[in-house]
Amino acid sequence: MRVLSIALNTFRENIREKLLYNLLIFALLMIGSSVLLTRLTVGEWDRLIINLGLSSMNLFGVLIAIFVGISLVSKEIDKKTIYTILSKPVPRYEFLLGKYLGLMLTLLVNTAVMVVGLIAVMIYLDAPVTLLLFEAVGFIFLELVVITAVGLLFSTFTSTTLSAIFTLAIYVVGHLSTDLKQFGAQMDGLGKAVLNTIYYILPNLERFNLKGQVIHKVNVVGTDVLLTTAYGLAYAGLLLALASIIFQRRDFQ
Amino acid sequence: MSTTETILQTEGLTKTFKVGFWGRHVTVLEGLNLNVQRGEVFGFLGPNGAGKTTTIKILMGLIYPTGGRATVLGRPVGDSRAKDRVGFLPESPYFYDYLTAVEFLRFYGHLFSLRGAALENRVTELLDLVGMSHASNMQLRKFSKGMLQRVGIAQALINDPELIVLDEPMSGLDPVGRKEIRDLILRLKERGKTIFFSSHILHDAELLCDRVAIILKGRMVACGHVSELVGQGATQSVEMVVEGLSSEGLEHLQPLTEKLLIKGNQVLIVLRNQQQVGNALEIVRVAKGSVVSVTPQKGSLEELFIREVKGTQSSLREGQ
Amino acid sequence: MLLGLAAAVFLATILSLQIELDQRHDEQADRIESLRLLPRGELLRPALIGFHHLGADLIWLKIVQVLGEPVVTDQDYEWLYHALDVVTTLDPQYSYAYDVGGTILAELANRVDWSNQLLEKGVKANPAAWRLPFVLGFNYFFHLSDYVKAGEYMGQAAKIPGRPLYVDTLAARLYVEGGSPLLALQYLEVMIQQAEDPQLRVIYEEKYKEVVISRDLGTMDQALARYKQTRGRNPQTLADLVKEGYLAAVPEEPFGGEYRMNSETREIESSTHRERLRLHRPD
Ligand SMILES: Nc1ncnc2c1ncn2[C@@H]1O[C@H](COP(=O)(O)OP(=O)(O)OP(=O)(O)O)[C@@H](O)[C@H]1O
Ligand SMILES: [Mg+2]
Repeated sequence: MRVLSIALNTFRENIREKLLYNLLIFALLMIGSSVLLTRLTVGEWDRLIINLGLSSMNLFGVLIAIFVGISLVSKEIDKKTIYTILSKPVPRYEFLLGKYLGLMLTLLVNTAVMVVGLIAVMIYLDAPVTLLLFEAVGFIFLELVVITAVGLLFSTFTSTTLSAIFTLAIYVVGHLSTDLKQFGAQMDGLGKAVLNTIYYILPNLERFNLKGQVIHKVNVVGTDVLLTTAYGLAYAGLLLALASIIFQRRDFQ
Repeated sequence: MSTTETILQTEGLTKTFKVGFWGRHVTVLEGLNLNVQRGEVFGFLGPNGAGKTTTIKILMGLIYPTGGRATVLGRPVGDSRAKDRVGFLPESPYFYDYLTAVEFLRFYGHLFSLRGAALENRVTELLDLVGMSHASNMQLRKFSKGMLQRVGIAQALINDPELIVLDEPMSGLDPVGRKEIRDLILRLKERGKTIFFSSHILHDAELLCDRVAIILKGRMVACGHVSELVGQGATQSVEMVVEGLSSEGLEHLQPLTEKLLIKGNQVLIVLRNQQQVGNALEIVRVAKGSVVSVTPQKGSLEELFIREVKGTQSSLREGQ
Repeated sequence: MLLGLAAAVFLATILSLQIELDQRHDEQADRIESLRLLPRGELLRPALIGFHHLGADLIWLKIVQVLGEPVVTDQDYEWLYHALDVVTTLDPQYSYAYDVGGTILAELANRVDWSNQLLEKGVKANPAAWRLPFVLGFNYFFHLSDYVKAGEYMGQAAKIPGRPLYVDTLAARLYVEGGSPLLALQYLEVMIQQAEDPQLRVIYEEKYKEVVISRDLGTMDQALARYKQTRGRNPQTLADLVKEGYLAAVPEEPFGGEYRMNSETREIESSTHRERLRLHRPD
């Protein structure tokens, strides 16, 4: 219940954030611009719409997740609003969880708005809307679930600037981790061990990328969807637990 | 208070901070012992940087002490069961400025699992108590500093706490506002609450507190009932205003006084102590003057405070 | 404490899921699939907002990873052409990618058409890279037996500054000799020398030996023809050709087999390569 109150308050705080609207409007413009772009290309234009739509959704979602996510906690500390909350019978991990869920709610609404925009464009252009599209959107959201938790973890022990840099780095490396493992396979000794460790410890974000499958209409096996979802949720769980452990030890100055 | 019960206690509380790139240690609190009884209004005094806020943050579980022990309502700090019965107003508080006063209090009510009509009643009651009913649907961003301080206090009272901890509740308030807060604190005391507050404004503390503690550079330098502390060693002078005194009479009075000020027809005389009052009155009567007023001057907390601060500073200087 | 326990449980879950998900998929197939599903270079380029060179590098690395494995399971190689096309659209000046990509398409994938398409694209974007027309020339010479085209490309390569000297020699000989095995051997020697990839070198060396067979068969065929002309019959064995002075010696078969006379067709053949390499028979 306390978690829910904090989450709803965070949601309220987020939807007053100007950054959010700017990014959302930009994303919708990009999705909408595919209407114009399809006039320019020949053939295969539903793939252009899907490509542009899913990519905008992904990119702007990640931007919001990172930039709002890293300031979730630090803003409360800077503004000292955290003092009154933590002096109430609210365990610190509940506070973190509440902030996190609040942003996830914001991102959910945000993604929903973009999906509606995308579907509107697709219907307008007579492009077929498939179940696979929704799976891809779900996976994009799953990526946001993980990325937000990464940002939150960093923000519990470093400055917002460093958190932003680290989170972006994890985002990029997370998409390359499979490649890293393969490079590692051709090395030996230390290099291989390091790259393998990175592969198993860092989030494997490429797992959440189904854009190619949607465009090429390659169906995804149900078990894979389930396992990947479990993977994303467990990862977010790990990050939140670590963030809570660090947060629990912190002095608020 | 017939039965005393310890509501808040610290034993040898110590806190060091690491500062700078090299993590140099700075000791902010050194072996602080505090003991606050149920039903007291306890003033926690000290100059800027003495460590008041640091102590309060430790008591509220916001930072961890480096050494020593602290209990609140008989439980170690940070215990949820104790937090359930404590209210806290931080120093120069900031709140979610996008909320209205009512939404703001409702939010804090939720954190105590208050719901429905009970919560609504509580919110209305509190806004009334701190005199903010007129602004209940205004966003906090439009509040003045004094208004914020008041909803801040309302927030601290949302759970009807037994112990109320206030970090500088009067700062930033005008004299009327300060009086209102003083009245509020006294009203809470009447309801049996224990109040622990820090302040610089000694006059307020003197009017409100049963007991005070004065800390300096993280150490306790004085602690006790206000009347005792003020009585200790303070010379009780007496101020007297006299009219139509002859110059001869003035001369006679001179040896008894500490200070003598002539303002037209009137003379202000400060006598060294109460024993001199009789002699002085006799001299005035003989010199055919008339007495306008006689006021015994109590030593103030402020005098004590300044004496302690100066004393510690000079002893520290000698120590170096 | 409880949080630490939760963290440990989550970590274990993640690791096992990571492994489980990896095992559910053939890694090479996945990689090939991801290359096949790459968006077109023209679309990808703006999406990389200025990082398209890095994008090209990363895709190239991925291609090299797949090709580096002992067996490439997917034999259609359409993915390879697509991925190379994306790389070279992202970075049209990546001449190494055209060069190696073109070679692999021709030699490993047996798709000379795609190889030529890629190399032509490279020649247009990199007029200063002599290797590209050089490899094109090689394709026309070996795979398409079009010696005129091969000569033209080699001539083009011979005009580019920075080329090694033998390019000029090869170009000159192409005009004169067409598809002679000796020219082919010199061409291959160059390719073997320049091949950085051991896999490619092996392919060229095989080819080299095949051309050696073709050259030897040519020499022996001539001796056989002269023998038939003067004696009016076929010799019993190859040794007869040597014994009676028509051939200096029976050459050594490069694959470790032997040359012999087929008892039915009365034609000379190699014990390892029964089929004759038709392309290089001197006309
Ligand atoms: N995070 C910190 N790191 C280093 N030093 C600190 C930190 N927080 C407080 N201090 C130091 O501790 C001392 C006590 O600070 P504190 O805020 O407790 O004083 P205070 O009594 O509340 O003062 P004021 O009356 O000005 O509010 C100060 O010298 C301050 O510089
Ligand atoms: Mg303070």
